[in-house]
Amino acid sequence: MIWLILAYVLLALAGIFLLYLTFRTGDRRFIYLAVAFYVIFPVLLTLNLPTEISPEVRQLYEAVEALPDSAVVMLTFDYYASTLAETEPMSRAALHHLFRKHCKIVTMTTIPLGGPSISERVTRDLAEEYGKTYGIDYVNLGYKANYVAVLKGMGSSIEAIYPTDNSGTPLAEIPMMSHIKNYQDVDFIYVVADNGIVDYWMSIVNAQYQIGVGSGVTAVMAPKFYAYLSSGQMTGMLGGMKGAADYEQLVHHHGTATKGMAAQSLVHLFIILSVVAGNIIFFMERKKRGGGLQR
Amino acid sequence: MKTTVPVIIAFLSGLVMIISFFFSSDTGFIGRLEPEILSWVTIVGGFTLLLGVVSIVRVNYSTVKRRKEGWGYKLATLISVFVIAIPAIIPPSWSSIFGVRPGSIYDWLFNYLDAPMMSTMFAMLAFYIASAAFRAFRARTTEATLLLATAVLVMLWRVPIGELALKNIHPGIPELINTYVMNGANMAVQRGIIIGAALGAAAMSLRIMLGIERTYMGK
Repeated sequence: MIWLILAYVLLALAGIFLLYLTFRTGDRRFIYLAVAFYVIFPVLLTLNLPTEISPEVRQLYEAVEALPDSAVVMLTFDYYASTLAETEPMSRAALHHLFRKHCKIVTMTTIPLGGPSISERVTRDLAEEYGKTYGIDYVNLGYKANYVAVLKGMGSSIEAIYPTDNSGTPLAEIPMMSHIKNYQDVDFIYVVADNGIVDYWMSIVNAQYQIGVGSGVTAVMAPKFYAYLSSGQMTGMLGGMKGAADYEQLVHHHGTATKGMAAQSLVHLFIILSVVAGNIIFFMERKKRGGGLQR
Repeated sequence: MKTTVPVIIAFLSGLVMIISFFFSSDTGFIGRLEPEILSWVTIVGGFTLLLGVVSIVRVNYSTVKRRKEGWGYKLATLISVFVIAIPAIIPPSWSSIFGVRPGSIYDWLFNYLDAPMMSTMFAMLAFYIASAAFRAFRARTTEATLLLATAVLVMLWRVPIGELALKNIHPGIPELINTYVMNGANMAVQRGIIIGAALGAAAMSLRIMLGIERTYMGK
């Protein structure tokens, strides 16, 4: 522990020194070096920092926990590869929870580029771990163009929108889908997304078909959805890597989000240090020139 | 004719979607129209993707053909489009390397080329934000100072080390941030934006249905 504290102190001093070098030379590469340092160091050490579970994460966990065994849950993979670091741990933690509860999982995506590949890879990984069978315990619907029509259309008939699954097997030949015809047969929708699709899940599916929707979204998107949480429309939310780490903690499966929190902690602290240092320099220079705070 | 027909199609499609909302899809002609139209929309959506490919090929091909500046990059774009699209289109019944299943060429290209490239581009933001934080985030005005102070508090609150530091100052600080910043000021503003955007979308839909808004026809 002492070594760890010493390492953090040394890292903080290194950060201050690199900021000083940036100030003296005007070369921003020293800042880039500091960020690289703060990301790589905690990943190499694999630090698992405990986090306080956010209320909205606990709400989502409890909503899933309250579902009966063998409940039908629709899990979406509405994210591009660029945000995998934040969103994939959410999907994995959700699948751990859902498979453990023996839920029947219907996965789908509204992302054409790689969406089906990501959902296939992640779901099969976890299904193998829990000994689940494709077509009986889970189904991957894949991608269909025009998400508004897809979301609305599945309210009438899932088969009309997705005549086949991601591999081209007709839905009529998949045993699990024999009793899942539309949203009325779905107990909960778990949306993991990195874009505005969440709004459509709320306004089209939750509002018009009264199905519980919980979400996992990137950190930059999370503030928007507090409005839906507060109104009771959204049943819980995972916000960014912190939300994913909280959920991993709840399902007792420490994955990449928990590991990533240490790196995120250091980078956040370095950015705060940069803001403070930049402003101290700014005010010192302005004092020299004789300026004050503008209104 | 070029304007009237699309306006009539847009009006009728919009009207059916609005009216069918009040009818069950199990009963009645109007109720059954909705899933029918939605199936058409997903099919048309597929063709828009094809249109996108045609457009990207046309634009880039003309640049390559005339050897304009940066034609090499355009050529790389064209090659990428075909290399990733063609094996994905060929039916997997020909060979397991075709289609989009795990183990196919498309899947391999996505997982080992596209995904790392996209992640790298996104990860570079962390470097730029850190640099901008030092060089540009200045408390020049009272509003900017408030914004910076709030941002610092939220950034601390969202990471374990920061949360611990805030709790050491006062155990109630994280709860205060959640209640007054995220579920208070932030939520009120977001709610206003969501309601405003929804009203704007409704107004725009009405303009399209009535043929007032015709920019989707290139006018």
